[in-house]
Amino acid sequence: MRHKQAKIATDHVAFEAFYRRHVDAITLFLARRVDDPHTVADLVAEVFMAVLDSAHTYQPGRAPELAWLYGVARNTLASERRRAFKESRLTNRVGGRRTLDTDDLARLEERIDAERTARKVFKAMADLRERDRAVLELVAVDQLTIAEAAAALGIRPGTAKVRLHRARQKLQALPLVMEGTPG
Amino acid sequence: MTFEEQILMELKAEITTRAERRRTVRRLFTGAAIAGLAAAAAIAVPLLTGTEQPAYAVAENADGTINVQLNEFRDADKLEQDLKEMKVTADITYLKPGKSCRADRGKIIGGGSPEEWEGSASDRAVRLLPQGGITIDPRHVGDGRTLVMAFTEKRGQAPRTEKPEVKWQFSAYVVEGQVKPCVVVDDPLWGDAGGSGRPPAGS
Repeated sequence: MRHKQAKIATDHVAFEAFYRRHVDAITLFLARRVDDPHTVADLVAEVFMAVLDSAHTYQPGRAPELAWLYGVARNTLASERRRAFKESRLTNRVGGRRTLDTDDLARLEERIDAERTARKVFKAMADLRERDRAVLELVAVDQLTIAEAAAALGIRPGTAKVRLHRARQKLQALPLVMEGTPG
Repeated sequence: MTFEEQILMELKAEITTRAERRRTVRRLFTGAAIAGLAAAAAIAVPLLTGTEQPAYAVAENADGTINVQLNEFRDADKLEQDLKEMKVTADITYLKPGKSCRADRGKIIGGGSPEEWEGSASDRAVRLLPQGGITIDPRHVGDGRTLVMAFTEKRGQAPRTEKPEVKWQFSAYVVEGQVKPCVVVDDPLWGDAGGSGRPPAGS
């Protein structure tokens, strides 16, 4: 039988509170990875849509909400890249893109601009192994603790620590990466 | 409105849509669970009685689906035969008000849970027509499988007029392999479903 649905996926009030708590963090998370405002806005919608799909996998107490949500966002981003925005399950898209007014556009561009260093880091990290890079991203760029990053990725904290160490060693030349939360 | 608010609005609408869908499926399944039965779409639809017309009418549509219009609860065997000629193996039972078939008729496709049911062959094999009657999609029945349908008369009919209406509700699902004959039992859900006449999701 169905797992008991987490309240955020079924209750308007609970969902709205959850959304407002995290929409900014998720927008920035995406702006660190994507430099097109329309795509960022689309992805924000898709991430929270994915929350509705997978709210039942969230176990309070296991990991902080945001760590779980970053995990959802990573998966959403990965699957969206695969299908390259062919379709969205939500409305308000014209010609395959979400419609944004000029204020929205300006605000998003500002955020994307503010996160340009992070995107540079991602480029530098491109050569790392995917598994190691995932931990490094969440810790150094998204500022999660190692335990939170582990929870977001569904791995053990010890494993996350090893991968982070390995990634850092390879990237010693990159100052920003070294500023991440110490393990 | 900012894009954040716009997205929030869309997502809330999505939550409502999903809740609606779940409620419909669950309502059918709650009943089903009590009866030990997979699922029963129970809808009250008018049944037109009158001696001047045949018990039922069958018509094949251009897309391969089959419309069945029920006028009277008789000649179930003949209807099964007609459907057989249209490549649909069906098992049809007509029941008195308050009765149902015992829920042990065979292995029901999609009968495990609401999730399994949704979109399964059982879910998609039969649709209710807005004008009363049903449409069968033979592609969702398939070879070696049987479309099991039970139609139950509803009491509390409209006063007799020239064309009295008889309400009925029905359950339909697809069974893999052997189908056991209907053992008529009291319907534990009688009066629970179909009263509102609201078709299940996707109908």
